[in-house]
Amino acid sequence: MSGNTSPAVIDLDHLGYAYGRAEAVHDLSLHVKPGRCYGLFGRNGAGKTTTMRCLLNLLRPQRGSVRVFGMDPSRREVEVKRRISFVPDAVAFYPWMTVRETLDYLASFRRTWNRDTERDLLGRFRLNPDQKTGALSKGQRTQVALVGAICPEPELLLLDEPTSGLDPIVRREFIQTVIGAYQDADPGNHTVLVSTHLISEFEGLIDEFTIVDAGRAVLAIEADHARERYQRIRARFAGAAPALDVAGALRIHRSDRELDIVVAGEGDRLLADVQRLAPEWCQAESLSLEEVFVATLS
Amino acid sequence: MLFQINFKSAKPVYLQLVDQVKSAAAAGLLRAGDALPSIRPLSEELRVNRNTVAKAYTQLEAEGIIESQQGRGCFVRVPQSALRKDARRRLLVTGVDEVVVQAHHLQFSRSDLMTLVEERFDALAARQTSYAQKQGTS
Repeated sequence: MSGNTSPAVIDLDHLGYAYGRAEAVHDLSLHVKPGRCYGLFGRNGAGKTTTMRCLLNLLRPQRGSVRVFGMDPSRREVEVKRRISFVPDAVAFYPWMTVRETLDYLASFRRTWNRDTERDLLGRFRLNPDQKTGALSKGQRTQVALVGAICPEPELLLLDEPTSGLDPIVRREFIQTVIGAYQDADPGNHTVLVSTHLISEFEGLIDEFTIVDAGRAVLAIEADHARERYQRIRARFAGAAPALDVAGALRIHRSDRELDIVVAGEGDRLLADVQRLAPEWCQAESLSLEEVFVATLS
Repeated sequence: MLFQINFKSAKPVYLQLVDQVKSAAAAGLLRAGDALPSIRPLSEELRVNRNTVAKAYTQLEAEGIIESQQGRGCFVRVPQSALRKDARRRLLVTGVDEVVVQAHHLQFSRSDLMTLVEERFDALAARQTSYAQKQGTS
């Protein structure tokens, strides 16, 4: 039995969901431990949003099981949702309400609301509380949604493509600010699940991630282990690049004097093999999470 | 800036932080009693998850490099390993063995390597002196 004694915040076991005959999620298992910042990476249509919706009981899983805080969200919906904040990819507010009114409205559904956090984040984002939400830019509306998501101090923060469609300069900045403020309030207990296809923005923030493709989990790994495992080794030789046994390489590119190899695991052994061939120049580096994503899916 | 994170390194990010604190403490850039930056500002500056910084500090504390004081933060400790000399020796032997093996593959002779070790000790001493002088003049 997996997970019956695990203290996981999220436990998905063999989740399956199809819209009619179109299978969106196939046999997906996912386990998120408390206090982690967990990434759900995949292309558009990979099944990320469907997965999020199953966690929130917006969709009923057709196969497998969903447990959040050890509970079935379809049976104990209120108990589960009370402890969660969810930011969907497209946020919508009543346009005639001001930022202040919107946050008060959101707060009215919650047991706790941290006014200090609210003030701090409104200040950092330079949001004017008296402005109508209808007059805000898309980025500012997302900021209001993020403020509204963390002020109730939920134990689990679900972010579905929180940065898509936003200005690339600001989005990385504010996602860092929000996740930092959220997790710092109760380290070890505040858990984040973030789905995205814009992976480079989450480099450094993600502790652990699962890559999904066509509804299936392709890779589940800790970010540190991914960087250790996925290596790119490049070497240049005085003469023609020698043939090398690189069984298991994800990608090999050989162009007259140069070798360019991407491996998953055994990088040290391969580097030693390459160095033994006395290259003029040789370099090994880890793949970024985005490069891991691309290498895994191609 | 005291810390520099390289996501292209196979070394886990938290270990990069651990090693940089150790190196700064060995060189005298960080002295006993100095405060380390608190977790949230540092994680924002380095653009890493707070868990990463927290993990690095926990490791440094376990190794006796820093101590955390409730509500005040983390401070560099007077170098004083809790481990006995033979245990510390074993830790060092592992690292030295790796260097010796690498030296072999990179065609460094025993005396080349010894010279290099001397040089690196001198470089560390030079850094210590230069930081101590800056400390004196500031």
